[in-house]
Amino acid sequence: MQNEGMKNNPSTRASQSAPWLGLAWLLAATAGSAQNTAGISEKDYLDEMPIVLSVSRMPQRLDETPGAVTLIDRDMIRRSGARDVPDVLRLVPGFQSSMSFEGDAPQASYHGIFGYYSGRIQVLVDGRSAYSTYLFGSVAPGLMSVALEDIERIEVVRGSNSVAYGARAMFGVVNIVTRHTGDTLGVTARLNQGDNGIQDAQLGLGWRIGNSGMRLGIDQQGDDGLAGSNGHNRVRRVNFRSDWRVANDSDVQLRAGWMDSAAGRGFANNLDAPLRETSYDSRFVQINWNQVLNPEQDLALMFAHNQENNHDLAARPLPAPFYSVNLDSSGTARNDSLTAQHTLRLNPDLRVLWGAELRRESVTSLPVFNTAEPLVTDFSRLFGHAEWHLQPELLLNAGVMAEHSSASGSSVAPRVMLNWHVTPGQTLRAGIARSFRPPSAFETDGDIRYSANGRLLEITVLARGNVEPEVLLTRELGYYGNFSWLNSSLDVRMFDEALTGLSQRQNYPLPPGLTLVPSNPVDYVNGDSITLRGLELQWSGRPWPGAQLGFNQTFAKVLFPRPPVQLTLMNTMPDSATNLFFSQQFSPGWCFSLIHQNSDPFRLHKSGEYRQFITRTDWRLSKSLRVGHRTGEIALTVQNQGAAQADFDQSFSSERRAYFTLRLDN
Amino acid sequence: MAQRWRAWFIGLALCLPVGQAQAQAPGVSVAIVSSQTSAPYLDAAQALIAQLVGQGVPRTTVQTFNPAEVTSPRVATLTSVKIWVALGTEASMALAKARPKAPVLSTLIPRKSFERVLLESGQKTSARFTAIYLDQPLQRQFALIRLALPKARRVGVLLGPDSWSLASALQTAANTHGLVLRAARVDDDATLFSVLQSVLDDSDVLLAQADPLVFNSQSIQNILRTSIRVEVPLVAFSPAYVRAGALLALYSTPTQAGTQAARAVLEVLAMRPLPQRALDPDDFEISVNEQVARVLALKLDAQALRLALKRQESPS
Repeated sequence: MQNEGMKNNPSTRASQSAPWLGLAWLLAATAGSAQNTAGISEKDYLDEMPIVLSVSRMPQRLDETPGAVTLIDRDMIRRSGARDVPDVLRLVPGFQSSMSFEGDAPQASYHGIFGYYSGRIQVLVDGRSAYSTYLFGSVAPGLMSVALEDIERIEVVRGSNSVAYGARAMFGVVNIVTRHTGDTLGVTARLNQGDNGIQDAQLGLGWRIGNSGMRLGIDQQGDDGLAGSNGHNRVRRVNFRSDWRVANDSDVQLRAGWMDSAAGRGFANNLDAPLRETSYDSRFVQINWNQVLNPEQDLALMFAHNQENNHDLAARPLPAPFYSVNLDSSGTARNDSLTAQHTLRLNPDLRVLWGAELRRESVTSLPVFNTAEPLVTDFSRLFGHAEWHLQPELLLNAGVMAEHSSASGSSVAPRVMLNWHVTPGQTLRAGIARSFRPPSAFETDGDIRYSANGRLLEITVLARGNVEPEVLLTRELGYYGNFSWLNSSLDVRMFDEALTGLSQRQNYPLPPGLTLVPSNPVDYVNGDSITLRGLELQWSGRPWPGAQLGFNQTFAKVLFPRPPVQLTLMNTMPDSATNLFFSQQFSPGWCFSLIHQNSDPFRLHKSGEYRQFITRTDWRLSKSLRVGHRTGEIALTVQNQGAAQADFDQSFSSERRAYFTLRLDN
Repeated sequence: MAQRWRAWFIGLALCLPVGQAQAQAPGVSVAIVSSQTSAPYLDAAQALIAQLVGQGVPRTTVQTFNPAEVTSPRVATLTSVKIWVALGTEASMALAKARPKAPVLSTLIPRKSFERVLLESGQKTSARFTAIYLDQPLQRQFALIRLALPKARRVGVLLGPDSWSLASALQTAANTHGLVLRAARVDDDATLFSVLQSVLDDSDVLLAQADPLVFNSQSIQNILRTSIRVEVPLVAFSPAYVRAGALLALYSTPTQAGTQAARAVLEVLAMRPLPQRALDPDDFEISVNEQVARVLALKLDAQALRLALKRQESPS
């Protein structure tokens, strides 16, 4: 979709800074490691040490988090057999994920997607927002920006967390924590090869220079895509991380990365979405500085720069004398963010965090916004959060975020959660939160015009800037129980999430004669209100040696205060969804894992009212290897052992795939 | 800053007698050789001197030197010295090599360092050359684990090239306390993480033993972050580790080391010999990181633990 001038993709002025910065750092690595080899002396007993678990890095107990949290560690990621993050997120209650590249990348969403892109949760990689601000806003490219090998753990906060992470954390946050460079010294490598053209390769290098640890990860992932789709895909990534301990009380971290995703999209018989090759790349630089002021206070500064380039261009045939018109949604987006955060413990029972973020987001796309000028939105955010042990058995988590956006004005998102340890190991939670999602630039300024031979043929999108932020009121009750005799924990979340003023498409007629074909362009308006009510249960444990067992169950009802205009919203979540994860290690070095997923029908991203059941069974058998002093693994993974089923679109089918893995650990 | 001023001040106070010493050198009976002039050494020296003075030893007969001075003709020829007290490894090494006439008591020194001093100088432990160790006896370390973490059964230990020789003694001490030891060896920092993970998988508590290859300001970050995540607490050997994020530490302070050394010095001044064998520290402290304890849902009181441990060691 674009006018004539759109052929020049304005996205090519991307800075190459991220990968080059990493390379420069790498090339500078000529000095040897300065390890203390002098032997034991009294210095080992008398010297000061860095404060590692500083006031802001002290972890929160799972029974004291302000909401339901699902933790997926490296071991579980490996045992799951997943090849990317969206597929791992199937293991989180309430999540739906897709393998399709027909959107910007494989989507994963919590409590429904309401459209084409998953834009109502936030994804953070080491604290940096990896939310794609291009078009509607989406977490999918960010989820694909990290190789699974680089991930230490994924923490998913289920439920609104705007207080801590801004408006986009409306329904929840996927917090990806990458491995510390101190844990990844040496060489790692992995190869996947299997059905459906699966070919993945990964190489990781970790080294140390003086007080700095570094890691460079390079990987490629690709397959032929879902059956029936044009979704052959190849994702390439380079990620660099360096941890530099400047002094015992301060450290600086530098991260930089690049991702390139090339995928086929479209349909053979759809002139408006023809078969085509698309590409998307992103790059980022992130610098963190952490200063421990004293054991009770620390200060953190973060600067992050992110840039995205989207290339999606195809020709649509037209009758003479126009012959064809370009369908183009190419463009660029760039974000810069500066955050300062001060954490302090006022007394042993009260920890407080406050800070501010300045953020600039800009999107440039002539075909999508009908202007070559960037659309710039400035955000300023102030946030504060207190974690207060009112009584030994009573914890209050209270916070607020005030956000001002140059595009949509000010909003205040408060949250209060009370955790009551009824007995040691048994905790009840109750909380309420209000959050907002400001509309994306596309929803306020989208302007897509088709021209040919100097004539304006049709305007398909012409947003009038009338849409206001969506508002979500979340009320929840929760339970967290620790059953040490079973080595297990149970988390239950009962939720009532009332979203009002969902941003929806609404067509309106333009005056006749303005375009050759009468235009009825799309505008975005605040439309339906929707309430999601239900219960999520997550049981996980290691009940006997070598075993890991997980059971997730979600029950949900989708309710409407008034009949919805968009009928497909009714099927936004399945009534019931179950996920079972079992893994058992056998000596010597064998491990078997099984994941079974069962879900009532829900709507697919792109098939209108068509609804799909999900019954998917994956299994994996692995054998650990030992070559000299190194360890590794060889594994066979079979995904979707049973019948094929539709994914993303009714005509796309996820079929059985098997692949082998050969992995070398550091 | 305050600490630096304090160090200057104490340093000045300790140096003061040196000026007088040149006039009254023949009167020196206790010669302290300090490896460094940083706070821990000064604290130990100060405690030692205070105890001696408190017991009637004239202040002017106690002098402090640095290791380089030991071989200087002025110091080497001091004939009135009845005992040399070395603070730290460097001072101990200097005295071991100088072989003065008077007996040498080495303090503020870990067992391994003292053994290295013996090896390199060809000395043997005797009433003429002995030590009060800085590190805690293994029995005391396991007794603390039993007291503080009664549910813990499996104790993980990471040992490096310098501490590997402790493996069998650790095994014995663990067994004495009904604990199972899971010891693993780390040979370079690249393998630390994988070894740590395998040890943590099999452990209820991680007991740190000093070894610069395993526990240093770099590695402590990985060790603490990883162990807290899997809720395996770290029991360490210095309060700095507790500030860093270890649950507990068992250690002797430099002041305690100086005080214990003073008792041995007084024996020598009373014409009794030094002990034939090196001594373990008799007094100790326990530190608890309250926040880490809270994260691990534990309630620990450092003073109560210390008293309980002391009661166990001397039931009377």
